[in-house]
Amino acid sequence: MKLVINDHRCKGCNMCTKVCPYGIFQEGARPGARGYIIPVLDHPERCTNCRLQKFYGRQLCGMCQTTCPDQAISWIDEQPFEPHKVVIEY
Amino acid sequence: MNLEDWYRQDRLPHIYCAGCGNGTVLNCTLRAVQELGFRQEETTFISGIGCSSRASGYTSSDSLHTTHGRALAFATGVKLVKPHQHVIVFTGDGDCSAIGGNHFIHACRRNIDLTVVCINNNIYGMTGGQGSPCTPYGAITTTTPYGMHEQPFDLCKLAEAAGANYVARWTSYHVKELTEAIRSGLEVPGLSFIEVMTQCPTSFGSKNKMRLATQMIDMFRENAVLKVKADRDTAAGKPLEPGKFIVGEFVRRHNPPLGVEESK
Repeated sequence: MKLVINDHRCKGCNMCTKVCPYGIFQEGARPGARGYIIPVLDHPERCTNCRLQKFYGRQLCGMCQTTCPDQAISWIDEQPFEPHKVVIEY
Repeated sequence: MNLEDWYRQDRLPHIYCAGCGNGTVLNCTLRAVQELGFRQEETTFISGIGCSSRASGYTSSDSLHTTHGRALAFATGVKLVKPHQHVIVFTGDGDCSAIGGNHFIHACRRNIDLTVVCINNNIYGMTGGQGSPCTPYGAITTTTPYGMHEQPFDLCKLAEAAGANYVARWTSYHVKELTEAIRSGLEVPGLSFIEVMTQCPTSFGSKNKMRLATQMIDMFRENAVLKVKADRDTAAGKPLEPGKFIVGEFVRRHNPPLGVEESK
């Protein structure tokens, strides 16, 4: 599973940056499809729900999705062999 | 039944301003309804007039968008004609406490089996930010440019005194607790009143030095006092500090309700 922000629905209120316990959502700098500055994801693989939703068979944290006033945050299944961005930290 | 199915997808994105808390309350309500496993045919959402009352238009089950302040009157009708329906009323602070105040008191007195979600954003948001009966003391609005000098309504105490079976207050920051409260409200027979303090950064926040929605969320986090702590402080002789408000479950009782089937 992976975390996605629907940039047609997001209005850039940055509420998700306040509520995510992992601090995955960070304030963005670039406008999205409708001109709102949408948040960016910082290491989204840390998200509990992405990792363990299938394993437990239920939604785990879900704070961002419940808080998002514009219903823009959701989880989708990854495609097979999807390219991943790899960040090497020293 | 999926959570996404409860939203009227072709109507989204909704018309609320960026950072408006009404979307959060809509999420919590639909999540509570989904967790209880209600079917769409037996659930009705009713709302009056105002920003908060647009919420019923974004639900895919039956919904009624009624006249100003009369959402509870329409809901009484729906409940009495169809006692099996789960009736949820979205209402705002201006809708519920100002023009619909009398309907609200009498709905609580009759203890009709409804769940009332009152979205209190401290202001009349849709018409341009006029002061409402729930505007806090000293707040600046369009109609009170030198600060509100009237005391606000405490809707939870009003509902409790008028006889509601379940009364709770949460904010749009406490989403998990709010979902739990709405679920309890739907389960308790009789009138369940859940007041939700939400942010209105456009009309209320911009005039009160909280221009961003995140600043208003911070304000809720700092000023909300849990009922347990407030009770402990009161017992120790410490009054509630000005500007703070109590959140939590206030009442849960089992007075005889109206509009519940005999077989239940």
